[in-house]
Amino acid sequence: MWNELLGAFVAVATLPNFIVMAAGIWGGVIIGAIPGMTGTMAVTLALPFTFYMPPVTSLLLLVALYKGSTYGGSISAILIKTPGTASAACTVLDGYPLAREGKGGKALNMALVSSCIGDFISNISLIFLAAPLAIFALRVGPPEYFMLMAFSLTIVASISGRSLLLGIVAACLGLLLATVGEDMYGSFRFAMTEDMKSGLGVVPVLIGLFALPEMLKLAIFRPEENTQAMKLGDNRLTMKEFRGSLKTIIRGSFIGVILGAIPGIGPSTAAFFSYSEARRTSKNGDRFGEGELEGIAASESANNGCCGATMIPLLALGVPGDVITGVMLGAFMIHGLTPGPLLFQNNIGEVYSLFIGMLFSSVFLFIAGKLTASGFAKISRIPQQLLLPCIVILCVFGIYSVSSSPFDVAVLLVMGVVGFAMMVLNVPAAPFLIAFILGPMFEDNMRRSLAISRGDLSIFFQSWISWGFFILTILFVALTIRREWQKWRSNVRAAN
Amino acid sequence: MIPNRDFYTGLVATAFFALVLFVLIPVYVRVPSFIPGFAPPPDMWPRVIGWVGVVMGALALVLAVPKMRRRSSDQITPIGAYLCANRIFAYRFICMIAGFAAFVYLMPKIGFLTATIVLLAFLFIMTGDFTKRAWMIGLSIIFPIFLYVVFTEITHTPFPHGKWFSLARLLHLI
Repeated sequence: MWNELLGAFVAVATLPNFIVMAAGIWGGVIIGAIPGMTGTMAVTLALPFTFYMPPVTSLLLLVALYKGSTYGGSISAILIKTPGTASAACTVLDGYPLAREGKGGKALNMALVSSCIGDFISNISLIFLAAPLAIFALRVGPPEYFMLMAFSLTIVASISGRSLLLGIVAACLGLLLATVGEDMYGSFRFAMTEDMKSGLGVVPVLIGLFALPEMLKLAIFRPEENTQAMKLGDNRLTMKEFRGSLKTIIRGSFIGVILGAIPGIGPSTAAFFSYSEARRTSKNGDRFGEGELEGIAASESANNGCCGATMIPLLALGVPGDVITGVMLGAFMIHGLTPGPLLFQNNIGEVYSLFIGMLFSSVFLFIAGKLTASGFAKISRIPQQLLLPCIVILCVFGIYSVSSSPFDVAVLLVMGVVGFAMMVLNVPAAPFLIAFILGPMFEDNMRRSLAISRGDLSIFFQSWISWGFFILTILFVALTIRREWQKWRSNVRAAN
Repeated sequence: MIPNRDFYTGLVATAFFALVLFVLIPVYVRVPSFIPGFAPPPDMWPRVIGWVGVVMGALALVLAVPKMRRRSSDQITPIGAYLCANRIFAYRFICMIAGFAAFVYLMPKIGFLTATIVLLAFLFIMTGDFTKRAWMIGLSIIFPIFLYVVFTEITHTPFPHGKWFSLARLLHLI
């Protein structure tokens, strides 16, 4: 193995490969930072260019674009409260408050460092753990997915802010909107117009929910402080801050690796899961959502931790875990490589070259992130009365470019109004978001499991993975009830 | 925090989820006559969400009442009085919704590019701060054209031309 790795190192360390990787990472960061433009779009747009490249170079370009766009989403999430990609939605929760405090530079640096570490751990895991993780991923069926989603949804209690009840109301709204459109058996739900039959897109909903309410707030209340430009403040991430978040970064990276290896989960779920775990275990847990660097570290390490891990089922089993790896499967095929167990026998040289190239790309990600973030950080200095209207227009263009559908633009604007109403009524937006993202997976896996078991509920308790998540869910719900009870009693005592 | 805000939030949530349960689900969620295997019907999950929403909304409403009682009556503003005192906010909110609706309606008529230029100008006006007037006028025109060129050239997005008028076609001619 070591000889092959050394050979692959020599094969990858060429100028054309480095140029392609640097260009891919840089392009990915910029595309990811534009609201509405996603990694899938970046990889798909680059696919035709790979026809004329050697197999390894072309795959490195696509992987670099994927990694760059996953990190790039955090830049707009932190600076303009607009997650460039769905996986960066969690970064908004702490990134934007930090930017408002004049710590945008620090937040960007934490996002970059966490992303690079997450990415590196993910690549190492891909090299050494591909086979066992692929076997674990194969054991995860609809009942295990359902239990995992149920546990992930308990995060609602952590991110509800001052009122758990309103957090659950927001989550219900998110779950409800996620049911709009065609269900898994072809029935239409809440399809009031022809466009609604295909459901509400994740990107217009989440961008509308986070980016537009700020514009509405400025236009309606016209607060004095909003018209001032944000101060970029201290850029440097201190060693103390980094050390304080290191445990979270490493845990987040491994959460990303494990969830990324399971087909269909993806970086958004991993980011929320890691955020929830960090909030539960951190001594600064109460500050999460108000501008806590550890929150950014948790979310970014997990979403980039997924990048290498999503290649595990693709390379080891030939199963693409998400849309991006689906496009990459096409790229493999175009170059005469067939992912699956035989790939490791027939094309071991190419596989190791890809692994080594991915390790190099972590370094390129750090360099590109540093250079790009400092350029983007200048956005903070633009006065809000000029910046916010331009963000709305950028979102409108970005959303239209995704699907060429005026309906998606309408969804964006309507969700902006809904987000503003939620802000005015003190209903937290974060539980809505997580429920909207996880809701379809939760419901589909529940219905699929019941269909498999012919209605027998014991299917949810037939494996140790399901039991593990079930016990964790019950434990967390019990702890939340106890916490709320204690809070209520201390409030009553204070009132008396 | 205004205590009666929780009360009204609970009221709105209860009313909304009740509307979903008793009106929207019966009308807009069709249950097919045949469902494969023992899979739950398509209305099962929306109903579960609807009931949880109603219960949580009602709980929020009920729990807000003691909080309101604890506060002296002069600290609580009824929603009608609040809206009357802050009429200007309501007008601006209606203006924003009207602006967004006009954008969606006019987009196919005057073209995507012209509609975004008008929308950006409208948003600048709505900020109410005109100290950077020259920037606002310049950005209203240049920024959407810049984005139009970038998205057309890179992603080849087919932005709609207007039925009445198309600035994009004019630009192509130039």
